[in-house]
Amino acid sequence: MSSARDAGRQESWMSDAKCKCASRSIESPELENWSACMRELSLHILDILQNSIEAGATLVELTIEEDLDTDRLSITVGDNGRGMSEAQVARILDPFYTTRKTRHVGLGLPLFKVAAERCNGDLTVTSQLGKGTTVRATFQHSHIDRAPLGDVTGTLMSVILANKCDLHYIHRADGKEFEFHTASVKAELGEIPLTHHKVRQWLQGFIAEGEAGVTVTSASLRLQ
Amino acid sequence: MKLEELAKRLELEVRTAQRKLDAEVTGGYVSDLLSWVMAKAQAGNVWITIQAHSNIVAVANLISLSGIIVAEGVTPEPATLEKAEQEGIPILTTQLPMYAVAGKMHELGIR
Repeated sequence: MSSARDAGRQESWMSDAKCKCASRSIESPELENWSACMRELSLHILDILQNSIEAGATLVELTIEEDLDTDRLSITVGDNGRGMSEAQVARILDPFYTTRKTRHVGLGLPLFKVAAERCNGDLTVTSQLGKGTTVRATFQHSHIDRAPLGDVTGTLMSVILANKCDLHYIHRADGKEFEFHTASVKAELGEIPLTHHKVRQWLQGFIAEGEAGVTVTSASLRLQ
Repeated sequence: MKLEELAKRLELEVRTAQRKLDAEVTGGYVSDLLSWVMAKAQAGNVWITIQAHSNIVAVANLISLSGIIVAEGVTPEPATLEKAEQEGIPILTTQLPMYAVAGKMHELGIR
């Protein structure tokens, strides 16, 4: 699976802006994603970002905070989409509920919640109709069952190349920070679209480098 | 049964720590939750999983597993392989589903 995923991932950077690869698809999430989710938190993040896009958000803010002193990892996605009523918020954590007609069961948030709770964490959803939704998941950073963040760059690129909303991204880890806003990138580019292949290449490198700069020590060292 | 023979019988691909294949396999354990493996697997067991990050090496090392079978065609991350080589933990890969690996091990008399 993984090699096919990797191949698909690479191909998607070369094909058009709509990423069709199995693991990083904004357009058509496949069940295969779920099998990979427990091995990589970035796929959960992709799922939440996708919810925001489907809710008509024009701006999504993703914040990843890794605090080694308090041993917490938090992932927060806030959007300005159409929001949900209290009743909808209650239902969204129910695995048998989804607003989508193409998939019978909406597993995204319930599975993310289970992953967080398994690692002494929690997942909360706050929302206001017409204003937007915020999803926040927390984990014990050093918990043995906490999956690594995984390919965050791939997730961010999928959202950026889908080109449906602005993305404000902040990753703080152990005193270091990487931040960017697609609105500022767009302002600098002027007429050139974000999906232009040269821009895409540059973005990929820029984000990968930024992420590398805030990556904390290899997970396996936690046990030794 | 030695790990080497198990690898041969199940046509597993040996990815790391060739030098440790003479380990005696004392049994098997199947799980993708590392905490359960740490709590339940016994020394000398072969662990069957689809987890591929480098924490699996740390767990195997900590509880002295004889090896890890990464099943279902999952490709272990380069960092995982590197760490496993260093620590002398054999990682073996297969396209077989975890259920099939466990079943075949049972058939071979590994209980």
